[in-house]
Amino acid sequence: MSDGLAPAAQQGMLRLGNRAFPPGQPIVMGIVNRTPDSFFRPAVTWDETAAMERVHQVIADGADIVDVGGIPAAPGADVDVAEEIRRTAAFIGAIRSSYPDVVISADTWRHETGRAVCEAGADLLNDSWGGYDPLLADVAAEFGAGLVCAHVGRQSPRTRPFRVAYADVMADVLDQVQQLAGRALAAGVPSDRIVIDAAHDFGKNTWHSLEITRRLAEMTATGFPVLVSLSNKDFVGETLNLPPEQRLPGTLAATAICAWHGARIFRVHQVAESRQVINMVSAIRGDRPPARAVRGLA
Amino acid sequence: MLTAAALCPAPPLLARELTGADPVVPELRQACLDAATDLLQSDPDMIAVVGPGEQTRAFGALGRLDLAAYAPALALGRLDGSALDGSGLDRDAQPLPLPLGLGCRLLDQAGYAGQLALHTVNDRAGAADCAALGARLAATVARVALLVMADGSARRGLKAPGYLDERSFPFDTQVTEAIRAGDMAALLTLDASLARDLMATGRPAWQVLAGAMGEQRPVSVIRYCDDPFGVAYLVATLSPQHDANPTSGRERGGDWPDRP
Repeated sequence: MSDGLAPAAQQGMLRLGNRAFPPGQPIVMGIVNRTPDSFFRPAVTWDETAAMERVHQVIADGADIVDVGGIPAAPGADVDVAEEIRRTAAFIGAIRSSYPDVVISADTWRHETGRAVCEAGADLLNDSWGGYDPLLADVAAEFGAGLVCAHVGRQSPRTRPFRVAYADVMADVLDQVQQLAGRALAAGVPSDRIVIDAAHDFGKNTWHSLEITRRLAEMTATGFPVLVSLSNKDFVGETLNLPPEQRLPGTLAATAICAWHGARIFRVHQVAESRQVINMVSAIRGDRPPARAVRGLA
Repeated sequence: MLTAAALCPAPPLLARELTGADPVVPELRQACLDAATDLLQSDPDMIAVVGPGEQTRAFGALGRLDLAAYAPALALGRLDGSALDGSGLDRDAQPLPLPLGLGCRLLDQAGYAGQLALHTVNDRAGAADCAALGARLAATVARVALLVMADGSARRGLKAPGYLDERSFPFDTQVTEAIRAGDMAALLTLDASLARDLMATGRPAWQVLAGAMGEQRPVSVIRYCDDPFGVAYLVATLSPQHDANPTSGRERGGDWPDRP
């Protein structure tokens, strides 16, 4: 299409938990970290009471999905399966009790954790590490959960990119996420519960993350719903030379570009601000009416 | 013979799609729908719709309401409820001037499927010409109902489309009192130049109404009388009294809100 928008007809309904999201209805995923050492506002939701307060807040701010993670992406102290489950499963069960209809996502790459969180009520397995544990797709299929298929290049979990190079980073992204999606389909995950993610910063330098942002329409053109996780990441920080707590404007700029290209799930720290940007872009695209239009119409 | 007349404003925001998620003026739309329904209940053989336009001319009844001119995104077809065909008009047909398109939609919503005559009247038409057009429309068939799409001053406040012009208040009151009293002769005396100054685009259409009503002094029901955005919106139903002793020229209705 000449306006740079992916053909909307190729995007279908996305089903997560008991919710159905049609194309053109952007979805905000609010991040709730159950870690003491995440890069953004470390440890603010390490305490369980604070974490549940955070859940209440992101839902009040307009999140459709709550994403709970027990392990930071960066290298650091080991978190084994038992500890990861201890940090996340019971907490997810508590969210499920409070919010029967909210979509709950678990940020994990391990199938053992996946099983525990699905038993506790998770609807989506957000595998940021590119299918490192192939059994995770089987768990998603068994529980009817959704699965995020992310591109990490050749990285293994909790490693940093080291001199990564791609002949064509977007081609590599498309190849890897579609292979993972095919594997998920073969494992029995329904096609309307599969999400793809370019995974900004994961296995990428800042130039690569800027490139996949610029070319995100190539991902939405696959027909799979695209998740973007941009929030306060290093590619924003390096682009603007700013520390994590000053990356909101840059994050929102990248969010706007991805929304314009048809991304459907936005994994964010600042839900209210992100929701405003996404709704604005959605209205510019023509997917959403203004909240209230009177100017020039009276 | 005129069986009934209805008076409605014709702002774009009368179309529900154009105000976005917020209905903004549901009571105005309901009042207009009620007025259109009144026309159907007068059992007409034909309904004539008259509104201001670039020229004084008739339009074919197969035109369509063109909302994409006001909200291009509606044409993309991705918005929930962006029912451009909600008017029941032919999508492939030529676009109608907004007042006629809105009038046709109102009649469609009221359930009217009968014969239509659509006519615009230009601002250069004088009172006599307007009245003559009204008389002609009323005589087209045995029983004609008339839907008049006409707006008052657009200069009723500092935030009004045309900013504030104090002359708006006596002008709109003059119109409202004439409608309320069924005093059609008073409509024919409206100052066209003042109406232009006040962006009161309804002046020629009101005078068509006066001509259509002829010597009859109708009973009026004012259904809406307000200026939420600085433009005078008046919704009314006028019923000609065909017996010798009309009951009253002042039935009921609202009044203009206090001046800003």
